[in-house]
Amino acid sequence: MAHEATMPRLSAGFGRHARSVLILALALGIATYLWFYAPSFYRTNNLINVLVQSSSLAVLCIGMAVVMIGGGIDLSLPANMALSAILGGFYMAAGGSPLIGSVIMLASGTAIGMLNGVAVAYLKMIPFVVTLATMTVLNGLSVWLTNSTSVSGFPESFFDVMLARPWGVPTPVIIVAVAIFLASVLMSSTLLGRHVYAVGISPKAAEVARVPVSRTLLLGYGLAGLCAGLTAILLSARLGSASANMGVDSVVLDIVSAVVVGGVSIYGGVGRIWAAALGAVFITLLSNSLNLLGASFYLSLVIKGVVIIGFIALDTAFRGRR
Amino acid sequence: MNTSASPELAMTGISKTFPGVVALDQAHLSARAGEATAVMGANGAGKSTLMNVLGGVTRPDAGSIELCGTRIDIASPRDAASHGIAFVHQELTMLPTLSVAENIFIDDFPSKGGLIDRAAIHARCQIILDRLGCTISPDRIVGELSTGDRQMIEIARAMRREPRVIIFDEPTSSLTQPEKRRLFAVIESLKRDGAIILYITHFLDEIFEICERVSVMRGGRTVGGGSIETFKPVDIVRLMLGEVDVGTRLKAPLDERQKTVLEVRGLARGTALQDINFDLYVGEVVGLWGLLGAGRTELARALVGLDPIDHGTIRWHDGTALRPISPHALHKLTGFVTEDRRGEGLLLPLSVNDNLALPSLKRFLNPWGLLNRKPQAALADTMIDRLGIKVSSREQSAGTLSGGNQQKVVLGRWLATEPRLFILDEPTRGLDVSAKTEILKLTAELARSGATVLLISSEIDELMRICDRYLVMVRGAITAELPGSASHAELMDALSAPVASHMTQRARA
Repeated sequence: MAHEATMPRLSAGFGRHARSVLILALALGIATYLWFYAPSFYRTNNLINVLVQSSSLAVLCIGMAVVMIGGGIDLSLPANMALSAILGGFYMAAGGSPLIGSVIMLASGTAIGMLNGVAVAYLKMIPFVVTLATMTVLNGLSVWLTNSTSVSGFPESFFDVMLARPWGVPTPVIIVAVAIFLASVLMSSTLLGRHVYAVGISPKAAEVARVPVSRTLLLGYGLAGLCAGLTAILLSARLGSASANMGVDSVVLDIVSAVVVGGVSIYGGVGRIWAAALGAVFITLLSNSLNLLGASFYLSLVIKGVVIIGFIALDTAFRGRR
Repeated sequence: MNTSASPELAMTGISKTFPGVVALDQAHLSARAGEATAVMGANGAGKSTLMNVLGGVTRPDAGSIELCGTRIDIASPRDAASHGIAFVHQELTMLPTLSVAENIFIDDFPSKGGLIDRAAIHARCQIILDRLGCTISPDRIVGELSTGDRQMIEIARAMRREPRVIIFDEPTSSLTQPEKRRLFAVIESLKRDGAIILYITHFLDEIFEICERVSVMRGGRTVGGGSIETFKPVDIVRLMLGEVDVGTRLKAPLDERQKTVLEVRGLARGTALQDINFDLYVGEVVGLWGLLGAGRTELARALVGLDPIDHGTIRWHDGTALRPISPHALHKLTGFVTEDRRGEGLLLPLSVNDNLALPSLKRFLNPWGLLNRKPQAALADTMIDRLGIKVSSREQSAGTLSGGNQQKVVLGRWLATEPRLFILDEPTRGLDVSAKTEILKLTAELARSGATVLLISSEIDELMRICDRYLVMVRGAITAELPGSASHAELMDALSAPVASHMTQRARA
């Protein structure tokens, strides 16, 4: 019994270390390499750019982290983001106010997330399959609605706000920082947050402990959808347009890699929001530097895929034994 | 029937020790061809281990096995099969997407030129099914069959190698009445063919119907056995459960009834729960007494909505009057301790603090909807102190605690919600003697402080130390109610009474 009691703690500790060491080594390796071969990377402007670029991925990662901590997955997040951006974009392109356009994006994202939530929580469907199907449906809708073209011609005031740099910090970075803070508080200090962790560890044990399992799952997916809506705002402002292309499949890969690198367990019940967001910065950095070093898009896919496999292996070896 | 012949199967002096547990201690078993021998025992008596030894799954530390006069060595399931020993498993082990024939031959496909010979499979399968009097086509997909039909296929698989010994491990636990009759007919025909049948069950009535001999185990030993005609049901129950040292009561039985807390009428689900009626009163500990598989856990789970119910009403005294309540709503008012402590009772990776607070979190929200850590920690410290939970700190993860301390965390979690009703399902399972006593003392304290406790335990001595009243469950129904002063013998008789009366009825008919 004593043996059994101490083992998991030791290995979990080692797992945490192995993960941090690996991330640090990778980051240092990239940093050193860039120092010699792409010194322009270290200009302040470029660094700020990396943060801005990370911002949209980071918000999607917050949503994915919530769903994955609850024991699920939402593959439809990028597709949700693209469709929401298109819907809000239509409104703004037709001369609507940016504020209402943004609200449309948030509302559409949340509604689509809730649809996934109903399917998973109340119809007991498997998250992976449901959201894969939703992803296809949403992508199809986006292409159909836009005829594969971009929706653009948004009001200037939209860009005035979203591309501003109060105190030298770009608006998106501020928005993301606030989102990370709010989501962290939500997960650590509210009823819903604690319930998400409990459901992610064991839905059966959570139910016995009077946790409203279905409602918790529904809200989790809804929250992820809200994040997709927020990302729609950030990205359509940065690109100046909205299109089905915003939600290409490789974004799913980026989200999952970032969240897993950030220490969220694919088995549910474990993870921190800020760490997942940091994972997004890491993945953006990785993409960026691969780009600077002249690696092709396909090679970078290979490398990111390998990174995911590596971290999932760590997750499985040290925490997946349940 | 030749009763003087030496037994065809003789297991003698079988011992097996697992780390920390003596599973078998000089156990023995003898069985004859053409007869069914019931192997009886309470949970943990060692019957599964003994059957695993025979099936080659477990290697014994000592002992010998003789089959038809020759000593045999069984080192693996393959050895067991080659000696003609077949196992019909309790949990159906079929591959649902394959056909009947494919399932029966899955571990030994006949082949022709390196390819599976489908015609041969079909033909051989048909022969076996015919012998069992089974009309299922060999080409049917197993997933489409009923539980009873699958059980038949499971037997057909065991029959493939012309077995001399067939072990049935609780074959009827999920069968309907007609399916059971058909199974018994098959067993009778196997007996006529001269097979040695070993029959494991928790249902007393079945063994009097289908078995010629009985062997009873307790605590890893064989404690009795012989021809079934020399036994009455109550004798078997007594042998199974043993004479126990009840010790001193932790709580004197209540002499008068207080107000009703809970009233259950006509609760039913399928065959698992049949027309359950009972009342619970303030401040009493009610023991739900029955053998494994009697439906005690099913009843407990149905009451709090963890399992569905077909019909029935539950009424709850909300302080002013008895009013109907849904199981789901009752769950919110009940402290429910499941039998599966590690799987359902606790969230093992979470800290003791978080586990204790989980159902009470609402209480710690500030006006902004944020959790206030200080009162939560104070609650955890209070419970750790009050229940004497041994932890390095309240942040220690629940998975690293000993069983007794884990159970205290589960109890502490519900204590914090101050429920008026506790349902405890095997709260002392797997605990050592001192931890058991501690949990029982806590239970007695709950009742003294005015809560009502519905207690499920397979250990009669535990129930006898604290129960004010007993509800006796047999086969999904409450068959009797006994006062807290009931003796050991009365409790034993209550379990076998329905079986005995059933037998006399049949004898008259």
